[in-house]
Amino acid sequence: MKPAFDPIQLAIPFFVVAIVLEILLARFGKAKANYEPRDAATSLMMGLGNSIVGLVTGGAIFAASLWVWEHRIFTIPMTAVWAWVVLFFAEDLTYYWFHRLSHERRFWWASHVNHHSSTHYNLTTALRQTWTGGVAGTWLLWLPLSFLGFPPAMVAIQKGISLVYQFWIHTEAVRRMPAWFEAVFNTPSHHRVHHARNARYLDANYAGILIVWDRLFGTFIPEDDAEPCRYGIVRNLADFNLFTNVFHEWIGIGKDLAGSRSPREVAGYLFGPPGWSPDGSRETSHTLKARWRAREALKTPLLEGEGGARAEGVGG
Amino acid sequence: MDKALLLQLIGSAIAVGLLVGLSAWARLARPTPPLDVDGALALLAEEFPDHRVDSVWLAGDGAGLVARSASEALVLWRRGDGYVARSAPWADIVANGANEGRIRLPGIDGAPRLVLGHQPWPPAETAA
Repeated sequence: MKPAFDPIQLAIPFFVVAIVLEILLARFGKAKANYEPRDAATSLMMGLGNSIVGLVTGGAIFAASLWVWEHRIFTIPMTAVWAWVVLFFAEDLTYYWFHRLSHERRFWWASHVNHHSSTHYNLTTALRQTWTGGVAGTWLLWLPLSFLGFPPAMVAIQKGISLVYQFWIHTEAVRRMPAWFEAVFNTPSHHRVHHARNARYLDANYAGILIVWDRLFGTFIPEDDAEPCRYGIVRNLADFNLFTNVFHEWIGIGKDLAGSRSPREVAGYLFGPPGWSPDGSRETSHTLKARWRAREALKTPLLEGEGGARAEGVGG
Repeated sequence: MDKALLLQLIGSAIAVGLLVGLSAWARLARPTPPLDVDGALALLAEEFPDHRVDSVWLAGDGAGLVARSASEALVLWRRGDGYVARSAPWADIVANGANEGRIRLPGIDGAPRLVLGHQPWPPAETAA
C-alpha cells in the first residue's frame, strides 16, 4: 500500500541542479535572481528539517489515510487513467483550500508562515518548508480523497507531483509564460504575487498547479509590472535564526493565549485571520488592503483633476 | 538509524553547504548602499505608507534610521540585503542612551544597534 515511488525524493537531484543553474545564470547576467547566503541557508535548512520531521510524522499520517481508505465509499483502481485524471483535479482543488486556509486562519498560518518569511524569491525559497505541518493537521484535508476511494499511495504520489511542480515557479528568472499557459496554470508570475507583501497582493493566488481555482473563487490577482513584488511577510523577521523562522508565530500565539481574557479572544487568536486582535489594533490583510484601496482612491481623482487641467490648458 | 538514511542526510547537509557557498561566491545580494535622506524617505514611504514623517535620524553608517511620526517612532535597520521595519512609542525609543558609539533599542524584537553619526542622539528636536 506504500507509494511505489516518491516524486519529491526522485526530484531532489533536479532541485539541486536547477538551483545551481539559477545561481550561475544570474551570476553571468543571463537571468534575474537575488541570493543572500544566510537567507538561502535558512531556506535549505528548513527543507532538510522538513524531510527529517516527515520521517517521524509521515508514517502516522499515512496510517491515518489507510484507516480512512479501509472505510471507503468506492473502490477506485490505481491503474485506471480516468482515476488519475479525476485525482489530479480533486487533489489540486484540495491543495487550493488547504493553502487558502493556511493563509487566512492563524493556527494554520503559524505552520505555513515559514515558507513566506524569506525576503527573496528564488528556487531555494521553494524548499523553505514547514516543520510543524503535521501538528497543524492540515493533512486531514486530504483524507476525504481516501474516503472517496482513492488509494492513499495514489494520493501521496499526486501530492508529491504537485509539490514538484511548484518548485520551478519560485523564481524571478522566468518573467511570463505564454498567455494560454498563464491562463490555466500556476506560473512564476502568479506565484510571485502570492509571495509578495505589497498590500495590493496580499492573500491571492493560492493555486497549486491550476490557477483556474483562484479565478473561480475570486482570489486571483495578476502581477502588475508597475508595482514590483516585495517579498516576505508583512512584519519581516528581525534575524535569520532558523528556530525563530520555524516557531515565531506559534510563540506569538502562545503569548496571546496567555493574555486572553475570554473564550472569544482565545478563538480569535487561534482561528481569526493572522493579525486579529480583540480591539482591532493590529493589522490584518483585510485592513492593510482597505488602507491601500483608500490611498489608491485618493490618488485617482487627483490625477484626473490634473489631466483635466492640462486638457483645458491645451484647449485654451 | 538506517545507514542509507544517515548517508542521505549527510549528503543533503553537504549539498546545502555547497549551495550556500555557491550563492556567496556568486555575490547576488541586492545592492543596499548606505541610506541618505532621499533613500530613507523612499524606504519609509514603502514600509509606512500611512505615516507622515516629521523628522529622520540616520545612523552614521547609513544602515538604519529612526523617524518621528507624531508620537510614534518608525525604526528601520538593515538585515542582510534588506531592511526590517518596526514602530514603537517615540518616547520609549529616544529614552535609550548611546553606548560606545551605538544606540541599542532593546524594546524592539531583534534589539537593533544603530551607529551614531554626525546627527545628535536623541534627535535634536527632543533633546531639550
